[in-house]
Amino acid sequence: MRVSQRTLSIRGLVQWRRFALLSILLAGLAMMPWLVSSPNVIRLLFLTFLWVTTSVAWNILGGFAGQISFGFAVFYGIGAYTTALAMNAGLNPFLAFLISSVTAAAASLIVGLPTFRLRGPYFAIATIGISEAVRVVMTNLSFTGGASGYRIVEHRPFLQLEHYYTALVLASIAVASSILISRTKFGLGLNAIRQDEDAAAGLGVNPYAYKLEAHALAAALTGMVGGVFARYAAFIHPQGVFGFQTSVHILLMPVIGGIATVWGPVLGGVVFGIVEEQIIASFPEIHLLIYGALLILIILVEPGGILGAFRRLYRRLHARRRDKTSNPGGGEADEIFWRPRRG
Amino acid sequence: MEKLTKYFGGLAAVKDVSFEVREGQIFGFIGPNGAGKTTLFSIIAGATKPSSGTVRNRGRDITALKPFRLVRAGIARTHQIVRPFREMTVLENVKLASHFGRKKVANDAEAEAHAMDILTGFDLDNVAHKPASILSVGLQKKLEIARAMATSPDLLLCDEICGGLTHVETAAMLDLLRRIRDEGTTVMYVEHDVKAITAVCDRILVLNYGRKLSEGAPDHIQQDPAVIEAYLGHPPAKRKED
Repeated sequence: MRVSQRTLSIRGLVQWRRFALLSILLAGLAMMPWLVSSPNVIRLLFLTFLWVTTSVAWNILGGFAGQISFGFAVFYGIGAYTTALAMNAGLNPFLAFLISSVTAAAASLIVGLPTFRLRGPYFAIATIGISEAVRVVMTNLSFTGGASGYRIVEHRPFLQLEHYYTALVLASIAVASSILISRTKFGLGLNAIRQDEDAAAGLGVNPYAYKLEAHALAAALTGMVGGVFARYAAFIHPQGVFGFQTSVHILLMPVIGGIATVWGPVLGGVVFGIVEEQIIASFPEIHLLIYGALLILIILVEPGGILGAFRRLYRRLHARRRDKTSNPGGGEADEIFWRPRRG
Repeated sequence: MEKLTKYFGGLAAVKDVSFEVREGQIFGFIGPNGAGKTTLFSIIAGATKPSSGTVRNRGRDITALKPFRLVRAGIARTHQIVRPFREMTVLENVKLASHFGRKKVANDAEAEAHAMDILTGFDLDNVAHKPASILSVGLQKKLEIARAMATSPDLLLCDEICGGLTHVETAAMLDLLRRIRDEGTTVMYVEHDVKAITAVCDRILVLNYGRKLSEGAPDHIQQDPAVIEAYLGHPPAKRKED
């Protein structure tokens, strides 16, 4: 009992420190426009926030619940087009973002109801099929301009900072929900589904309902990102927002950073936000090939992504130190703290 | 259970088996290999749909209910091959069951306290914060039962929980089953090991070739000539005539 109280207070301390660190980070990002005046840096940060949000959103379903989807472009695109249509109809952009998230969540149910009857690779393949079908439909839909795209007309002046803060708030919401999920019953249930769906059902978890809920939440966030991006870009077209490479981008970030963790997808989003444009600019023809190779490399070498590599490194260094002091019991507390916090 | 039949293709794995399990008992199934024990078990556990027949729990038809609905109806199961969530701690494994079991404890601290109580009852509290993957097979089997009990069931279905255990571990496991029964949970128990099952069960159903061969108290079963024949072949006297 005394021991458990002690670990509790240590845990409390760790949590408090984490909270303080997060607040400082958030404050720093909020102050950024005053520190750096370059519109290009602000633009990059804006895009990074959007990528972080989709990465974290995908991870709720693909990481925590372990349902690998190649179809998130559907929600991104639906969000983008919904905002575009709503804004051109004269609605307030923020209201349009909300409508986007609701529409995307509704779409996730339509996608999820049949596909969640499939498991593992079959689910992944089905999401590719649906995503491509939606892209083809959107390419041929006349009232959204079909393949030639759709322009958003905004009568208010363009304020980069407004976009910046919208994206920052959105990313914060995504990360906060991810943290919340990882600490609650919902996250524990998703985690169990990832590890052994049948065993989870045997303990009272309804896997089908839980997957649908995780999917809807992820889609709502992704749809909102699509909307925010559409407003910023002011022009969208199906090959872009509904394109297969959009799905691949969204999936690649959490995999790079570390799947099924809270901070891995954030890290992946940041890394991707920084290098993405360079890769596309330097290798316009083969950038998808590079992503594919990267994906295979990560899965083979370090399935835990960047975060997994860090953890392994930390453990190795720690184990060496432990050997030197020859205190075999000393690492136990660290083992608990550094155990991958999943779900 | 009424007239349960399960066909796999043209083969009847279980044919017209009917029986009743009384509350507060340990009820066992035995039978030679391929007798249909596991099929019957998985029908009751909702993992397999019977070709015909119904399963009732206190008068309510629960045939082929989804496993998570069975849990909410107060029926929990363990698996023959243990299936702990390896990436979780022992405590998290049990906490999950408290959260999603019949009582549906939503509060995090409450679920953790309930899980810790269960772990203490199963002598697993000292490994509560260890990852489930590092436990020995014996402890993993114990965890499997602890987890099922954390869903607060009326009926616990145990599938070969003593397989692969040493004699000492088996004896401890059987004591555990008795304790579970004495604390008010009915137990249904499938096992290969006749010795284990006759030691612990209040009533036993013997299956052979998918049919009910005999049913009764352990003493009764052991003296039933049909059962002896199924396990040991024809009695020596008869064999001489062949």
